[in-house]
Amino acid sequence: MKKIFNGLFYFFKFILLIAAFGLTLFILIRMNVRLEKNIMGVLPEFIPFILLLIVFIINMAFKQVGVTKNLFYNLTCCLAFTTIICVALRAIFDTNMVLNEKYGYGIDFNFFDNFIAYIKIMLYGLLIADILLMFREKDKDNVKSKKLKGA
Amino acid sequence: MKKILLDYASAFAYTITGLIFGLAFFLLFINFYHMQELNTKVDMTAYNQNNKALVEEKLETIRNNINVYNQSTYNGSLNIYGLNTVQIKLQNCLEILESKDMMKYFELGEVGINDSYNFSLDFKNKILNDCLVMQIKSLFNTDTVATLPNFYIIKPYVDLDLDTLLGSTDYLQSNIENSDHYYFSTDNNKTNFFDLTEDSYSSVMNNYQNSLDLMVEISNWYRSIVIGG
Repeated sequence: MKKIFNGLFYFFKFILLIAAFGLTLFILIRMNVRLEKNIMGVLPEFIPFILLLIVFIINMAFKQVGVTKNLFYNLTCCLAFTTIICVALRAIFDTNMVLNEKYGYGIDFNFFDNFIAYIKIMLYGLLIADILLMFREKDKDNVKSKKLKGA
Repeated sequence: MKKILLDYASAFAYTITGLIFGLAFFLLFINFYHMQELNTKVDMTAYNQNNKALVEEKLETIRNNINVYNQSTYNGSLNIYGLNTVQIKLQNCLEILESKDMMKYFELGEVGINDSYNFSLDFKNKILNDCLVMQIKSLFNTDTVATLPNFYIIKPYVDLDLDTLLGSTDYLQSNIENSDHYYFSTDNNKTNFFDLTEDSYSSVMNNYQNSLDLMVEISNWYRSIVIGG
């Protein structure tokens, strides 16, 4: 059961990360277009997304079980990305937020802007946790393999 | 030593993951709560019907008071330019007050946050700007009107009322705009302090009624000077 859930969260982690990244990209680019600012200005906002994606690919490529088979970590990733998607969708579709309609851009930038700090906190937090878990399990694997060789 | 460090790293990683889990869960939950809160509809049918009856009564009073004067049949001694100016300005205001854009709010059954916001904007643009500022304020700064009897008695009262009304909905508008920021408000404090949708709507309606009261007072003054002069 745990294996099935872990597999599910592990799979959704990638899908949700890409979806969260796409929606954030869409909103921030629209926000910069509205302000007639250079698109390069929003690039730092995407660094944590890209770093996290790279780390996930490394986890997958090197089969780092400390992360890939960590149910709690994968669940937290899914939850964090779902929150980002939920907020992005609200910024676009929740017309009960009056500023969404007031400025006529179809996106409530004011609402989403408040959330950028939380996005960064969550993404950098997941990144640090991933790196720490990655090393821990690598060490454990080494210990196991050394033990097997010794035997 | 290395093992201890790695154990600490592991503990640290789980702590961070736990904190992120808590933060994400909190944000997701608060967003759903906020979404529901903003989606709340308040049944204002009876309230609107009562207000509609009051508004129609006041509009009828204003209309009757304005129609007391007719330039072609007027035989009094007062300055007809002044009387004409007051009549035209009050007539313009009356048209704005009973326009479809304003009267539509009295037909609303369930009121949402957007309705309250649009009502406050329409009240500000149409009643405060187009009627009270462009018509009434300018009326009381016209030389020909200043020659009419009791002008200087009613003018301070009108000025004071206008000043009060002009700033009356600013805080409501910014309050609703700030509702886009999410926060926790329990049902208890909503009941005790300020329900955004219902109380904003009622506040704008009260200001609308106050504007009409002012118009009624001015039209009463106009009627009294036409009949008396």
